[in-house]
Order: sequence, then structure tokens, then C-alpha cells
Amino acid sequence: MTTDLRAKEDTFTEIFNAAHAVLNTLADGRFADVRERGIHKFREYGVPTHRDEEFKYLSLRNLNETAFQIAYGATVSRGDLTHPIVAIDAITLAFVNGQYAPELSTADTLPDGVYVGPFEELPFEVDQAFEKQFGRVANLVGKLGTTNDERFTYLNQAFFADIAVIYVPENVVVERPIHILNLSTANRGPLISAPRAYAYFSTNSQAKLIESFIGLEGNYLNVPVTEVVLESGAIVEHVRVQDETLAATHIGTHAVHQDASSNYTAFNVNFGGQIYRNDLNVWLNGSGTETRLDGVNVGTDNQVMDNHTRIDHAFPHCNSFEVYKSVLRDNAQGIFNGKIFVYEDAQKTDAKQTNQALLLSATAQMNSKPQLEIFADDVKCTHGATIGQLQKDALFYLQARGIPKAQAESLLVYAFANDVLSRISSEAVRQALENRLFDKLEVA
Amino acid sequence: MPSMLVIQNLQARVEEKEILRGISLTVNAGEVHAIMGPNGSGKSTLASILAGKQDYEVTGGSVDFDGTDLLELDPEERAAAGLFLAFQYPIEIPGVTNTYFLRAALNNVRKARGEAELTMTEFMKHIRSKVEMMELDPSLLSRSVNEGFSGGEKKRNEIFQMAVLEPKLCVLDETDSGLDIDALKIVANGVNHLRGEGRGIIVVTHYQRLLDYIVPDFVHVLMEGRIVKSGGKELAHELEAKGYSFIEEELAAAR
Ligand SMILES: Nc1ncnc2c1ncn2[C@@H]1O[C@H](COP(=O)(O)OP(=O)(O)OP(=O)(O)O)[C@@H](O)[C@H]1O
Ligand SMILES: [Mg+2]
Repeated sequence: MTTDLRAKEDTFTEIFNAAHAVLNTLADGRFADVRERGIHKFREYGVPTHRDEEFKYLSLRNLNETAFQIAYGATVSRGDLTHPIVAIDAITLAFVNGQYAPELSTADTLPDGVYVGPFEELPFEVDQAFEKQFGRVANLVGKLGTTNDERFTYLNQAFFADIAVIYVPENVVVERPIHILNLSTANRGPLISAPRAYAYFSTNSQAKLIESFIGLEGNYLNVPVTEVVLESGAIVEHVRVQDETLAATHIGTHAVHQDASSNYTAFNVNFGGQIYRNDLNVWLNGSGTETRLDGVNVGTDNQVMDNHTRIDHAFPHCNSFEVYKSVLRDNAQGIFNGKIFVYEDAQKTDAKQTNQALLLSATAQMNSKPQLEIFADDVKCTHGATIGQLQKDALFYLQARGIPKAQAESLLVYAFANDVLSRISSEAVRQALENRLFDKLEVA
Repeated sequence: MPSMLVIQNLQARVEEKEILRGISLTVNAGEVHAIMGPNGSGKSTLASILAGKQDYEVTGGSVDFDGTDLLELDPEERAAAGLFLAFQYPIEIPGVTNTYFLRAALNNVRKARGEAELTMTEFMKHIRSKVEMMELDPSLLSRSVNEGFSGGEKKRNEIFQMAVLEPKLCVLDETDSGLDIDALKIVANGVNHLRGEGRGIIVVTHYQRLLDYIVPDFVHVLMEGRIVKSGGKELAHELEAKGYSFIEEELAAAR
């Protein structure tokens, strides 16, 4: 068994050995050492098993059984892009299989000093901002936790091709949403692709970010890493939409660094993937921050949807609020692990976490685990989890008013999910996601 | 003209517990029937069975509504056929606004009647006079169905829905409980508005007071799953004065 695993770990090394020469032609080899460290670190851990605490409920055996090859740039035409989120008016930066796709991106006039583009020769301030935190936001070294597990961040570090870079200077408000569109297509056999994004929001800037992962075809492993930095007073709303193919495995890391008095809202909405896993890690680096992490997962068939979130309350007077909801049907399985660390100095922390699942079939399942580790005494931390079916009383009430059963059911599912979706500030984004929700559940 | 609702020897139970033990009741168009009876006697069970709640097992008897076998219909078909139950405990539905809910309800009912569906604008016009009649705070319309409504607001909302849906047969389950004096008058006014016009109304209540405003044509006393006494509106006064014990005594004497 162990030898088996080792052989497979070597598969990723083999892919790396074959590919790193090409990867190093990107950015003039600037990331060669980073890549070497990445594959080296990943090899130390290998593909996780159920014995690894952070992957207790998630089986990734398929990664050992699939002959992945490194992603190649594929041609995708605009006509292939039928997903409702693609239609949203936004400053769009598109990638196909982790490689920049200028033909699908928009060429916009941006406010002064704003940068939205691939990693290349960056303007001086942007390069400085990049150097400051790149690779550090996603890093858990020195943070609390005895089971911290960063192996897929390392895997990304070995394989990422282009990087989506976003930079908003001090006091600048970007009105139009910025959309990082990640497309995947594996029409010639299983691929591994490693999208990478770095978004830096300077002091008192404001922006809306959409990050989407849209699958077009085939079986692939997507291991994206996104790093987001908010300097003090920055206000950012980030909508992350995952709609990979139902054959794909998506294992993402979404890491956020918030300086004092910044305000960050993340909506994490998932429809796709045979296996979906995301680790959303928020480091609160100063006082007076506001953080809101909301999630909606819609799983059908044999989908597995695993959300791990962690919030590091390292400073006093920070508020975090988190609501994750899952609608699961057929044999879908949901997993939620919500960590809140309150560090010794983080007095007056106010943290609230809620996890709810609606099971639409007898064979759908949800595992929910809140994990609060509190080392300060004057704090308010609460968590709650509910797992249930559609409320019979509510269903009867709707029917008794003349609403047919199927419509009544979809209305209640909609109401459940919409509690989260309705908070998305953009009407167009909200509408696109609602449409996708109904489409996926095949309801009117 | 044939009767609107004919209940014959209706028997029902939950699990092993017998609740209705043979109820017979006929309601003609234009009539108002009051049903009174002690707690737990089966009034809400009867109302719920009429509306189509699945928790009960009907073990005997029949219910005919305008010539169709009511018990064969799904709850939504009963509503479409013109039956309305004002719930004793209206259900809260977070995330669905009152307006959205009521328009969906109305349009389904209209569709079933072969009428055109209403656009949002037409719908808002349709409900305006009813909002006023029920003196409903308009902000309740944009709130989630019954969520966080006060007890009285919930009951008023039920009668408001009834006024909007214009059913043929209205079943009111303790709509008066939890209402203050003013709200009671408003609710009674809403019900009286629908009175006549070929409608049948069944009012379940514990208190004579409501019947001062909605004056019934018949009063029935339900005890232990049976209608044990029927009479005119004066029966309600007698109950108010003497309680249910006099009926128990009458029944004992008759045995
Ligand atoms: N779903 C149920 N499961 C078990 N018992 C039930 C159920 N519904 C009703 N009952 C029982 O049946 C009996 C009649 O209940 P019902 O609610 O019809 O009474 P009621 O006459 O409406 O009383 P009240 O005046 O208190 O509203 C009660 O003993 C009640 O506990
Ligand atoms: Mg009752």
C-alpha cells in the first residue's frame, strides 16, 4: 500500500520533471526555485488518505488512479461560453487551463494605477505589492493549528503557469466588477491545471471581484490558489463560482489577508465537480476588521462538496460572520469544517458561524464539523449546524394555498439558498447564480 | 341546488389514536357554520383533513365538495377547487416574500379556474383594496411569509390571503385567538365581506365574542370526535353561559 502510494506521488514528480523546463520559460524563470520547493514539499506529503485529519471524509483515491498530464493551452471560442456568469458585464481576465487567454479577456480602460492582467513586466508599484505578499498569504507557517495541511498549495506552486494579477491603488474605487474567468477543458485525456491569482487592494480602495471556475469538457484536476490582500480600510466583495465538469476534481486554496479596519465579503458558490474541495483561510492582521464568509453548495448525483474554512482572529475587536448552506440531492455528499482560531490577544472578538444543509433525498449526506479554538477570554463565539429535509408544514401550507407540490418544493429550496445569494450586491450576478441553481435542480 | 359540502360519517385517526369518530355536516352555499368544542376534541383535525393534510388516516366516511370526492384531491387541487383553510397556527416561511407567495398562489388558483395569470402590476392593483380592508401594514407584504409577524398579524394575514384568493368554502380555525378587540373587528369585517355570494363559511372558535360579529346560521358542538349537538346562534350563548358540562350532562342523561 505504502509503496503503491509512493509510486503515485512520483507520478506528480514525473509530470513535474517533464514539464518544469517549459514552465520555467514563463516569467523568465522567476519562479523556478518556487516550483522546485513546491514539488519537493508536495512529495513529502503525497496524496492524502483518510488518516490525514484534514481529509478525513474526503476520498481522493482517484488522484492515484488517473494518468494526468500537464495542462496545455486549448482553444476556446466565445461561442463555447454559455455559462450565465460569463455574460456578466465585467473587466474580464480569462484563462484556459491555467494559461492566459487574451482573446477571451476584455481590454478595458481602467482607473488610474489599477492593474488587471497576467503576470508579466509589472508596473513598479504593482511589482512591489506582488513581492510583498505573493506566496505568503496562503502560507500557514506560524499560525495556530495542529493539523495545518498545505499540500495542495505546494502542488499549485509547482505547476502554476500564468498568474492573474489585480492591483488597486490607495483610495481608488473600481465600480465595474473584475472577473477572473478560469476555463478548463480536457478534451485529450486527464489534465492537471493550476490557476493562480493574486489580488492586492491598497488602503481604502474598493472593488468587487468575481472569480469563476467553469468546466467545459472532460476529466481534470484543478488545484487553484488565490491570494487576496486587503490593506487597511479596503472594502472588497468576492464572489467565487465553481462549476467544473461533473468528472473534474477541484481542490482549491483561497487565502485572504486583512489589515486593520478592512471589510471583506466572500460568496463561495459551488455547483460543479465530481470532487470539490476548497480551503478558505482568512488571516485578520489588525483590529476593527469585518469579515463575512457565505457559501452555497448545490450537489447532485455522486458529487462530493467539501468546504474547509478558517478564520484567524489574531487581533482584538474583529467581527466575522459565516453562513454556509448546502442543498444535496441523489447521492451527493457535503462536508463542512469551520475553524475559528481566536489568538490570546484577540479580545472582543465577535465570531458567528452557521452551517445548514437541506437534504432532498434519503441518500444525500452531510458531515459538519465546527472547530472553535479560543485562547482569549473576553470573546463572543457561536456556531450552529442544522441538517434537515424540506419542512413538511411549510410544504403543506404552500400547497394548501394552491401552489403545486413541485413548485412548492423548488420555492422552499430557493428560499433556503437565497438567504445567502440575496446578499450579493450585484443584481446581475445574483440572477445568474439563481438561474444556474434552478437549472441544476431542474425546477421551474 | 345541491349542497356545497357534505361530510358523512367521517372517521380519522393518527397512528393508533382515534380522533374523529363519525362526523356528519352539510354546508350550503351562503351559510355560516360555527364549530365549537373543548380543546383536543378534533376541530383542527377536521379542518386539516378538509384541506388535505397527510398526517391523518381517514378510516371511514366521505367528503363531497361540489360533486367531487374531496378526499381524492391533493391539497393544491382542493385550493384550486375553491377551498381555503385559515390556519390556527400559520406557518413561517423564511426567504419567500408574502407578495411572491400570494401571487404564486393566486395565479395557480386562477390557472385552475381558466383565468389569465396576473402580472406583478395587475396583482398589486388586485390586492390594494384588500390590504386596506384588512388594515394590513404594507411593509408586511415585502417581508417573508409570516416570519416574525405578531400573532395578530399572522391571523390577519390569513384572512387577507382569503380575501385575495376568493375561495368558495372558507374554513377558519380559531382565527380569533390572539386578536385584540380592534383586530377582531377587522378580521370579522373581512370575513363578512366574503359572506353570501354563494360562499360557505365554517368558523371554528372557542368564543362567543367572534360570533357577535360573524353571526352564524348554525352552531355545532364537537366533543371527542363527534358533533354532539347542533343549533342556531343561541347555542353559542348557552355554551358561553354554562360551559360544556351541561352538554355532557344531557348526553349522560340520554344514555
Ligand atoms: N399529528 C398528530 N399526532 C398525534 N396526535 C394528534 C395529531 N394531531 C392531532 N392529534 C391529537 O388529536 C386530538 C385532537 O386535536 P385537534 O388539534 O384536532 O383538537 P382541537 O379541537 O383543534 O383543539 P384546540 O381547541 O386545542 O385547538 C388531540 O388530542 C391531539 O393531541
Ligand atoms: Mg385546534
